[in-house]
Formats: sequence, C-alpha cells, structure tokens
Amino acid sequence: MAAKKSTLKVILLGDGGVGKSSLMNRYVTNKFDAHLFHTIGVEFLNKELTVDGCKVTLQIWDTAGQERFRSLRTPFYRGSDCCLLTFSVDDNQSFLNLNNWKKEFIYYADIKEPEKFPFVVLGNKVDVTERQVSLEDARQWCQENGDYPYYETSAKDATNVAVAFEEAVHRVLAMDDKTDYLIPTDTVKLHRKPRSANICCS
Amino acid sequence: MAGLMSLDTRRCNYFFLYDGSKVRGEGDPTREGICYFYPEETPLDKQDLLCGQLAGVARCVSELSSSPVRTLKLRRCKFAVRMMADFFWALGCSMDVPTVSVCELLDHLIDLFCFYNGSVRQSYQLNSKESLAAQWAQYLSHMQSGPSELCYIFRCLRTIDSTNVDPLLLLKAALILQACQRCPLVLVGCILFRGRVVSTQMSPQLTMKVMVHESEIYTKTQKSNEASTSSSLGGAVSSTAVFLTTSELQYLQSAPVNKDLGSQSTPHKDDPPKKTRLSRTLSDTPSTESETSCPASLQPPQKLRFSPHVSESDDSLFSPASSQSADSPNPSPQPLRRLLSNGRNSNQTEEEVHEEESYRAGFQNKEDEDRQMDSQGDGSVFEETPCVNGGAGDGDAARGTAFDYRGADSGNEHSRDDRKAAGDSGVCCRKAKGHRAGTRHPPPLTFDSLEESPLIPMTLYMHRVNGLVLALLVEPRLTSDSASMEEVYHSSLASLNGLEAHLRAAPPGAPGASGQYVFAHYDSIQSTLKTNVSGRSGGATDHPFVRATSLLHSHFCDTETLQEAIIRNVSAAMYGTRSVAQETYFQQQGSLSRNWGIPSQQDSAFSLPSKARHRLLKHGVNLL
Repeated sequence: MAAKKSTLKVILLGDGGVGKSSLMNRYVTNKFDAHLFHTIGVEFLNKELTVDGCKVTLQIWDTAGQERFRSLRTPFYRGSDCCLLTFSVDDNQSFLNLNNWKKEFIYYADIKEPEKFPFVVLGNKVDVTERQVSLEDARQWCQENGDYPYYETSAKDATNVAVAFEEAVHRVLAMDDKTDYLIPTDTVKLHRKPRSANICCS
Repeated sequence: MAGLMSLDTRRCNYFFLYDGSKVRGEGDPTREGICYFYPEETPLDKQDLLCGQLAGVARCVSELSSSPVRTLKLRRCKFAVRMMADFFWALGCSMDVPTVSVCELLDHLIDLFCFYNGSVRQSYQLNSKESLAAQWAQYLSHMQSGPSELCYIFRCLRTIDSTNVDPLLLLKAALILQACQRCPLVLVGCILFRGRVVSTQMSPQLTMKVMVHESEIYTKTQKSNEASTSSSLGGAVSSTAVFLTTSELQYLQSAPVNKDLGSQSTPHKDDPPKKTRLSRTLSDTPSTESETSCPASLQPPQKLRFSPHVSESDDSLFSPASSQSADSPNPSPQPLRRLLSNGRNSNQTEEEVHEEESYRAGFQNKEDEDRQMDSQGDGSVFEETPCVNGGAGDGDAARGTAFDYRGADSGNEHSRDDRKAAGDSGVCCRKAKGHRAGTRHPPPLTFDSLEESPLIPMTLYMHRVNGLVLALLVEPRLTSDSASMEEVYHSSLASLNGLEAHLRAAPPGAPGASGQYVFAHYDSIQSTLKTNVSGRSGGATDHPFVRATSLLHSHFCDTETLQEAIIRNVSAAMYGTRSVAQETYFQQQGSLSRNWGIPSQQDSAFSLPSKARHRLLKHGVNLL
C-alpha cells in the first residue's frame, strides 16, 4: 500500500491543572516546564509519525481545563479523531469529572456514535507520591464506560507519554482500517477532507 | 479601489532625498545630489528644479532666521522639510493634509529608513542608490496603503477590532509575548494578525515600524533581500537586521512599570553566569542588583509624571507631531515623556532638572561601572519591581543587551558623547520654543543629532503562522544561538497555532457604517484610530468628513485652548472635541437643509455634541 498522508486530530480534555499541556509538550518537544500558565482557549502542535508505513501528521490539540474558558475551547472539538480524557492521579475530583468531559466532548464534537468513538484515558502525574485515585478505580471506570485503554503517565519524567499517544494513533487507524476493509483500498478516501474543512470553518 | 488609489497618490505628491555634499561646486549638476525622487517617473529637469529650489530656499530661510525650516508652502502643495547634516528631505502633500501631519509623515519615513537600514550616510556609502530607492519606495507605498484618507491625518496603528475578539485572546497574546521574554535575548515583541496589531509590548511608533516589514513579507514572500534563517525551525521563521536609537533601546530595556527609568539601566556589565542562562521563569528574581548609587533612581514617583497637566501646554501645538513621530531620532532618554507628550509638562523646569540629573546618573554609572560590578547584590528596590510585576526580570535582559552593544561598539567614549548630545538637545528644546512661527515641530536639534546618535543593531525575529505573526526584537546573537532560537520557537509555537485558530474563527466585524453618521476617534497615546469611515465604499461620500477632520485637527494643533468646535456649511455640520490624549470627530449624515447663515437657536448643529456622546457610546467612545 502506498504511503498515504493524513492528519489525525487528537484532543486532550480534562480538568485544569491535570497536565494536558505538559503531556503535549513532553510528547512533541520532549520538554517539561513546571511553570506553564493556564492554557487559554486551545493550542496545538503537529508531530509527524510513520505508523505501519503510513505517514501520519498527528495534530495534538491542547485545551483549557478551566470552566471559564469553555466557550473558547468547545468550537474546536469538531473533527477530532480521538479524545484523550485526562485526569491527575493526585486529584480525585479531576477523575470524577471525566464523565462530564466525555459528555461535553460528545455534545460539542457532535459525535454520532459515541459508543464507537475512540477515547483513551490518561491518569497523569504518577510521579507524585500521594495518590488519590487508585489504579483499580481508574481501570474500573474505563472498563465500565466503554472499555477504554488506560495509561498512567507522567509528563514530568516522561513515563508512558509516547505510549499513550501512539495508542491513540493506533486506535484511530484501527477504526479507519475497519472501514477500509469495506471499500477497495485503492479508492480515494473522501471522508477525511470534509472533516478538516469543518475545522477551518467552525 | 482604483479611484481611491488615485486619490491617495494625489495626496502625497512628492518625496525626495537630496545629498548636498554631492553638489559643492558651481558646476556640479543638481541631479548628482538626488538620492531618491518620488514619483520616480518625474522628468529629471523637474526633479532638478524642485530639489534645487526647495533646498535653496530652505537653506536660505534657515540661515536668515537661524532656525531650521520645517515646512514650505506652495500654492497647491505643502512640503515638510528635514535637514540633517548634508541631507535634505522633503515630502510634498496636497493642501488638504494638515501641516502637522505632513511633518509627521516625513519623520515617519525617515525613521523607517533608519530602522531598517541604519544611518543614512552609511547606507548610501554601502549600498547603491537603486537598492535604497526600492526601500524608500516601499516605505512610501506602505505609508499610502492606509485603509482610508484619515491615515494621512493621524499616524495610527491598525489594531484588530477588539469588540469582535474575546478579551481572553488578547490576554493569550500578551502571555505569548511574556513567555518569549523568558529568553533573556528577547527584548520585546508584538503579535499581528492579518496586518493588524493583536498585542504589542512596544511603543506604538516602534510597532508601526515593525509592521512595515511584516506587511512586506506578507505580500511578497518570494522576495528575499534579507538573511532569512530557514533553519530547522522551518520556513515560518525569519529574521532581519534592524536599528534602534538609544532612546528606543532604553525604553525597551526599562522595566514595564517604570519605563522612564531607562537611563539608569544602560551601561552595565552583565556577569557571565547570567548570560549563559537560557531561560528565566516567573519565579526567578534577578540576583544582581546594582546602581543604587544614582540619586535619580530613588524617586520613581516623580519620574512617573506623565499625568494630567499634559494638556495645557504650549508644546501641544507642536507635539502631536513631535511626540508621535520623533521617536527615533531624538536621543533624549525620556521616552515616556515623549510618548505621552501630547502637550507640555507644566513643570517643565523640574523635568529638565531631572533629565539632567539622570544624565549625570548615567555618567556615573558608566564611570563606576567596574566598581559596581563588585558591589552587586545590594538589592535595590527598583531592580526588584520588574519581577514583582511579572516582568520576569526584564532588567536583566536589558542589562545584558546594554553591555553587549556597548562592548561591540566603540566603547565608553562613544556613549558618553551621546549623552552629551542628548543633554544638549534638551537644552535646545527650551530655546526652541521661541521659534514657534518657523518651527511648528520638534526641537530642531533632533535631526541634527540623528547622525551622531548611534543606531544600535538589533534583530527582528518573525514567526509566521498563516495570518498570524509573532515579531520579536531580539539581540543579534540570538539567531546564531540555536538553543535559544529553539527555546523561543517552541515556547510559543503551540500557543501561536491556537491563537491563529481562534482569530481565524472569530466572526468578521459587522460593517461599521451605519449610514447615519460618520466618526473618527483618535487616541494619540496609543496611536489608535476608531472610525466608521471605511475608505472602501467609494471614499467620495466620506471625503467631506475627512476634509473637515483635517481642518479641525489643524485647529486643535494650532490652538491649545481649543477643546470643542462645530464647523458647518450648508450641507453638513461636524462636531470635534479633544482631550489630553484623544480627538473625536462626529458628523451627522442627512440633510441640514435649513441651516445656513448665522446659526439660530434651533440650528441642528447645536445638537451635535449630545448626539455624538450618545451615538459613540456604543463604539466604546466615552465623551462624557
């Protein structure tokens, strides 16, 4: 199969301060900055990947977690290929809020079949010693909500960060492959284009 | 649009730069001295005539009156004139354009040239006339590219329509700029979107200069006369050499709050460990404090005295021009005062005493520099303020810079001379007041000292994300320091991407023209103009408004006590009002058919002020 080029939009959602920006920065630039300011609205970085011979541009969208930035971030949910629901293992409330984040995403991204949409759950800040959310609780939540993959990450010491993002890519590609089986592989894929067009106009 | 263009070009009729040093003897042809002439297609004979005559008249009058000539009026054209050493500039505009504005435009042109090319003399020694002609042409065309005719009257920054943009995004832009400053080699920056300012840390004047380059690379991306660093960071990043005046640099180096303490922070040696540090965080405090010895630095409250008295000034006659335009050539280290000096400081004398004091302080610093190196860390109140205010130790970077260019330059003698020159011109400011008739404009010595005042090379770093541009003034060595370059690049990339996405998604502003009235509101401190004159919808309907504005603006400039005015003819009436920093013009559209002759009690013109107050509120203009 010829290398196809496409852009995958992955969006990081979760409470303010759980480390979404840090995860993105760690993954793309391999840097960690303890003094990041709140993200305002949305930000994004691109990363080129080659997965199974396919060149993929991973576009990671980082969002503002605070409630007051809601109106700024929600217009950018549309067109996401994968959603990374993020909480901090040292903050139980951020874990409890995962449900709300999921709902908000499904609503604003206008997801038609939420049960099929690839979510990945990240429990960040595992480097912190005082945990409030146990591994079991997190796994259980993922299990009950649609069997989402769960990763415990630390942007600070780079634990599992790359693995988590790569999982997201695999999930998306796996979804695409399923649809690919239905159509002959050498046909032009039309459905990606309009989606990115949506992003521009929204 | 074509109609508008022709209108515009008519407004700026001539511009030339004449180098008197090329024409010394009787037999020397005038054209030898013509460095640049606009319009370029003007027949050479005519060029000769105009250059020769204007230069001759100007020289003659200035020698007779022993004061420099600033304007020459012919019947259908008025010329702003600048003389500096052997150079002679003239900008001719139609009579519609207020005299102050013509002078401002000319100053702005010269400033632009110096910003991008350095000293005029040197540029003409190093480059061909042709290549520099292209520069002048570019600045002229930029100057004439304003959205409406009003841009000839007011030098203004084009800003994004903040009513359409979530204020949080403006905050985001400001934070991006601050994040960049964590790299000590970054002085200041601004963020532009589609040729409009989103956020800037620079003075309006400096921002305007930076924008010229931005719009140039935006329109002609292929043209690459300047060293563009297409490094690992991709083609989105470019840099070009620029030149700052000492006063601009001092302004940049001073802390955000106490901007006018600049003169104290200039000569200072940076300690090596500082220099090697790549980043600062908000929590960092500068570990080296010094310069507590200077007396002037102990009185910040007095130094921040740009306040209310600005308005009743006899300088205000001159100043809308001088204050806005003279930014670069004037080496006086009082940028703040200049910036805000839409008028005189009534405590002028005190000010001057101060000025001199701070020069002296500067001297001392210079001389005591070495000694101070040893006495670092005595924690002056001042040096700490920048950090408290989130300035992230600006002082630091500033001092680093100062050392750098001083070091690179000819050294101490040089800077000392500057300061003397600056001091002298301060003295002349006072004298110059006597010459009001001849000189409507900034103190004569500003331009004479232009050549002497050293221009400090800096680098303009630009990072483009589609329509969004991050422009930073950085120390030249940043571009060779790949680690710092990457730091700056990566610290801002994600946010720039995001900001661009947000701004692109913002709905376009509702068409302003409501048809019932026209207004223009100019803020001379921020150099911003709010108006519903679009310029595009066949400027003809707005032309009377522009003319009336031009007329009233001239009156406001000439008559310091004038605060409100209504002018009227048979078909239209306009209300104008001004305060310390703002001018507002309002014209009600529609018929005033019965208003002619001596105004009666019922004359509808008298209701204009209240209408203006009422209508303009929704544009964010408060005239109450």
